[in-house]
Amino acid sequence: MSDLDDFKATYFDECSELLTELEEQFATIEGGDQSSERLNAVFRAIHSIKGGAGAFGFSGLVGFAHAYETLLDKVREGQVRLSPDVTALCIRANDIVADFVAAARAGTELPGEYGADEKARFDALCAGEDDDGGEPMEEFDIEFVPVMVDLDKGAGEEGPADPAGLDAFAAAPLAADGEHWEIRFRPHSELYARANDPLLLFRELATLGELSVRAVFEPIPLLADFEPFGVYCAWEMTLASPTATETAIREAFEFVEGNCDLEVVQLSAAPVTVAEPEALSLLAAVEPIAARLADRMPEPPALELPDEAEAPLPSFSDLADTIKSAAPARQPFIPIRSEPMTPRAPVAEAPAAAPDAEAERRNGVQSIRVDLDKVDRVVNMVGELVITQSMLTQQMDDTLRQKYQELVRGLEVLAQTTRGLQDSVMAIRAQPVKSVFSRMPRLVRELATKTGKKIRLETIGENTEIDKTVIEQLSDPLTHMIRNSADHGIELPEKRLAAGKTETGVIRLSAEQAGGNILIVVEDDGAGINREKVMQVARQRGVVAADQQLTDEQIDQLIFAPGFSTAEAVSDISGRGVGMDVVLSNIKKIGGSVHVRSWAGRGTRMTLRLPLTLAVLDVMLVRVSQNPYVVPLSSIVETMQCSRASFERVPSGGKVLQVRGEYVQVIDLCDRFEMATSVDEKNRFVVLCEAEGSVKVALVVDDIIGQQQVVIKSLEENFESIEGIAGGTILGDGNVALIVDVQGLKTAKLRRAAA
Amino acid sequence: MEALGFRDDTADRAAVAGQNTLQLIAFSIGEQTYGVEITTVREIRAWNGATPLPNTREYVRGVINLRGTIVPIFDLRARFGDGQTSATKNHVVVVMSVGDKWVGILVDAVSDILTVSKDEIHAVPEGNSIDTELLNGIVTHESRMVGLIDLHAVVSGAKMDA
Repeated sequence: MSDLDDFKATYFDECSELLTELEEQFATIEGGDQSSERLNAVFRAIHSIKGGAGAFGFSGLVGFAHAYETLLDKVREGQVRLSPDVTALCIRANDIVADFVAAARAGTELPGEYGADEKARFDALCAGEDDDGGEPMEEFDIEFVPVMVDLDKGAGEEGPADPAGLDAFAAAPLAADGEHWEIRFRPHSELYARANDPLLLFRELATLGELSVRAVFEPIPLLADFEPFGVYCAWEMTLASPTATETAIREAFEFVEGNCDLEVVQLSAAPVTVAEPEALSLLAAVEPIAARLADRMPEPPALELPDEAEAPLPSFSDLADTIKSAAPARQPFIPIRSEPMTPRAPVAEAPAAAPDAEAERRNGVQSIRVDLDKVDRVVNMVGELVITQSMLTQQMDDTLRQKYQELVRGLEVLAQTTRGLQDSVMAIRAQPVKSVFSRMPRLVRELATKTGKKIRLETIGENTEIDKTVIEQLSDPLTHMIRNSADHGIELPEKRLAAGKTETGVIRLSAEQAGGNILIVVEDDGAGINREKVMQVARQRGVVAADQQLTDEQIDQLIFAPGFSTAEAVSDISGRGVGMDVVLSNIKKIGGSVHVRSWAGRGTRMTLRLPLTLAVLDVMLVRVSQNPYVVPLSSIVETMQCSRASFERVPSGGKVLQVRGEYVQVIDLCDRFEMATSVDEKNRFVVLCEAEGSVKVALVVDDIIGQQQVVIKSLEENFESIEGIAGGTILGDGNVALIVDVQGLKTAKLRRAAA
Repeated sequence: MEALGFRDDTADRAAVAGQNTLQLIAFSIGEQTYGVEITTVREIRAWNGATPLPNTREYVRGVINLRGTIVPIFDLRARFGDGQTSATKNHVVVVMSVGDKWVGILVDAVSDILTVSKDEIHAVPEGNSIDTELLNGIVTHESRMVGLIDLHAVVSGAKMDA
């Protein structure tokens, strides 16, 4: 069972990737690019989701995805126009598919009618083009193929799902004396790799009518060139059946779709309509085959199975001739795509079509899934390597340098290589911010619906890469910021029009790298921060003293104060008074900063500055009673000598520091860590740090040694967590330094005072 | 380097030893000999200082860098209540795995590898609770007592109560 669970986990991983891709594709489609690659990519994604869902028995998801896929197929065929309405419906459908996937993942069931409206609209849209009054698709386990049989109208027809209809359908307009189909089937090696057996396919086909099969051997190469798993055999089949339809034939090959070249040709005299452009491209594709087939004709019949001769059927070369001569007219020829994703019929050996299909299949970036733990291990090892390498370099003194020049050269190369290795390893952890950004369009759509505003989300620089751990921390803050923009920033359409703006508000989400930082900007063209109201609320809530005056910029920053919200009514989007302060604390936690700027009536810009990676931390190295400690640079406000600091006593016996009119709690790290200090009070240093929620703490240390970058190591891995210590790190000399947890020190102190 | 790798040959020795025997690394604290099962030992290295951990018990000597992993060092003498070892380069750290964690214990010297039969393990005499808590049993080797250290007990309760 655990195997199945593994597969499921992989399936859900893939689903989230596919859903992300859908989101991207529709973003482009909305932008006006309706090229067939886009539509194919969308179709492919939904098809894959449906396929997996079928395998795991998520019937709700399969049903919905199936209906959606049907519509997409029609769109792809050009039978349903991709109007803005349809696009909107599709985007909504993506969300529903995402919900189904989420429900399946959580093991819950969505209500039966979930997505029923959309499904009904799909059916309506599909039926709109159907002259036959197409039945709503109830079954979902059949494959969708364009079956062009309608003689007069030239409109394509969806294969009806129920076999009864299928029979009736096939019997009606076509030749009564039995249909002949020529099927060319050339498996790829993947087909065998996936444990498919062509014999089973032939048996399946044989149930449709009288089947004859000929094997077509390709010349077997010399042993040296022989690939043991290569495929050197294809088949040509002739199917005589009065009832067979292309749908039915293709269905037999459903499971090997994409792993074979498949071509189905109807040999009846009845002219069959083919959509014009397809006929032309098809003709182009068929010509090389015709040529090749003509070459093949003199081949000895020994290669053919005995029962082949029983039906004197037109051969492929005859057929090709017919096609050539009748080129401008419509062809008695039906292309079958070997898989839904390729827009043209990739014909067995057509050289031009094959690479295309290949390229399309791989249009995603090639990637492997690796457990993050494994990557972390590599990152750690490389960190060690860098430290060891710098240790070695430090060991080299001038006499050694003179004496062992080769060694020196070797060490230099080693230094370069390790640096390169470190960069590459960090790059493995780096991921495009796309994975977070792609969740936002849906959020914006939902917000727009809830607020009755018109909002467009623009994303820029979504390929900017950040460390995976940073990305994970980014989702919540971004959600809050976008909610804030949608709820407080963007105005209602009437207001916007009155203010002379476009009806649709724009939220722009962008990411770019700036030096060792990543800047993430959330901008809106809304009303901007209402500073008067902010001040009023801030005074009411006691965030700002009644007589305190603040600059505009300071007022803007107030929105990040804990418990602050200016929303007049607590809406269910934002305005519960939590949110923006969460943004600040989350961002601080990962060593970043937030800045907000606002222009009245023109909009607000919030900028997140984030470190490129969490694996390396910028720290200040300090000494506490002979032991090295490090303080994260991001939390340090300033440092000063104790002799210049003005300490004051408080009744508890502790000290406070007066700094620019503020009184700050003082924590002497020697006292706190219960270590003796031999350094004279005057020569010690104060490190002023900022804990959560902009509360400052003054740490007193023996000495400040300098700044450096360190790799964070966990203490808990082999020991346990210690109050006031966030972890350890290894210094260049191989010794361990402890990382001071400013927030932890502060709360621990408070707790002790309270006890 | 200062570290002696034991890992490779320990596996062989353990394989040679029968099912009913136990191989021990024996080490001394003062005059007394103690032992731990050889399969738990990962590495033996000379004492080279440790970074002290604040707000921990006296017997937690600090942490060292073991090829990039931070490993805590427990002072066994202090754990037995005899005060901290005044450690020198001649003292030895035995790095062991306890559960899924790696810990080092600081001892005076590593003396021998002993093979004892499991049947020869005696119970620890009831009396002082510290003895029964920290020792799993007692074996006799060359007519001297070897106390089997209960590693889980040694490393537990290291944090100071606030």
